[in-house]
Amino acid sequence: MIPLLTQALVGYSLVLTIVTLVLALRNRAAGRWTLIGTAAMLLLLLAQAVVSIVLWGQSPDTDGVLFFGYLLTAIVVVPLAGGWAYAELSRWGPAVLAVAGVTVAVMIVRMDQIWI
Amino acid sequence: MSGENVRSGDVGSRDPASGNAAREAATRSVRETRAAARGARRAERRARSPYSAVRTGPGRALTAVYGILAFAASGRAAYQLLPQNFSAAPFAYTLSALSAAVYILATVCLVIGSRTSHRIAVAACVFEAAGVLVVGTLSFTHPEYFAHPSVWSMFGVGYGFVPLVLPFVGLWWLLRVQRTVRGA
Repeated sequence: MIPLLTQALVGYSLVLTIVTLVLALRNRAAGRWTLIGTAAMLLLLLAQAVVSIVLWGQSPDTDGVLFFGYLLTAIVVVPLAGGWAYAELSRWGPAVLAVAGVTVAVMIVRMDQIWI
Repeated sequence: MSGENVRSGDVGSRDPASGNAAREAATRSVRETRAAARGARRAERRARSPYSAVRTGPGRALTAVYGILAFAASGRAAYQLLPQNFSAAPFAYTLSALSAAVYILATVCLVIGSRTSHRIAVAACVFEAAGVLVVGTLSFTHPEYFAHPSVWSMFGVGYGFVPLVLPFVGLWWLLRVQRTVRGA
């Protein structure tokens, strides 16, 4: 884990959470920009995946199954939630994205703890 | 898109042939037939699954949250059931697997929404509520059984207390849907 990337991931997922929460509270459906924002989240996670694989040799004590299990779950959850929100035409689409954003933030923090 | 509209309008004004209008009417009737068929299919699905949560926005959001929790819980359970891990805390890990199975069951039953699956979903929510309360209490009074965390230990603190709140939200939702269906 690179501290800068970790901070960017946690920060961005929290920003996504807050923005989508505001959208849900203002009774807005998810639109193109929400989808682009979710795609950016996915790109950041994929960057994290590449970084983890590259840096893997430097951390022999990390539990690989656990770490990559978390990473893979996050990578699966984000596009699912994004697709779900885009198909949903009510305020509950952004609400689902907000839940996914919190989930990803927590998972990144857990991954940071697991990475030794 | 607007360019196309302008172009077809131009053609119409230059050549006011009756074929154009007839074609438009035919297209409209095909579209209407399809819309009617779609409506009929939707009504049929509705009749088959009156309790389904995916029919309304909040219900779909609830299903999504259940799905995420089911996914997270089963991921953790799969990791804990690996042969090299399971012996560390068999009791807590068995509970993890059980809770993951119940979350999956609840998610599926929320979507299916037949009368039977509605009952199963209610039972699953009651089971989850009881589980999180009993296991949460036990994890404080008998911490030796819960050296390793499960979804429900410490009232689901590892999952932001979502496991504590979700079954009650789920029950409230299921009973609300039930009132609507029975009342209609």
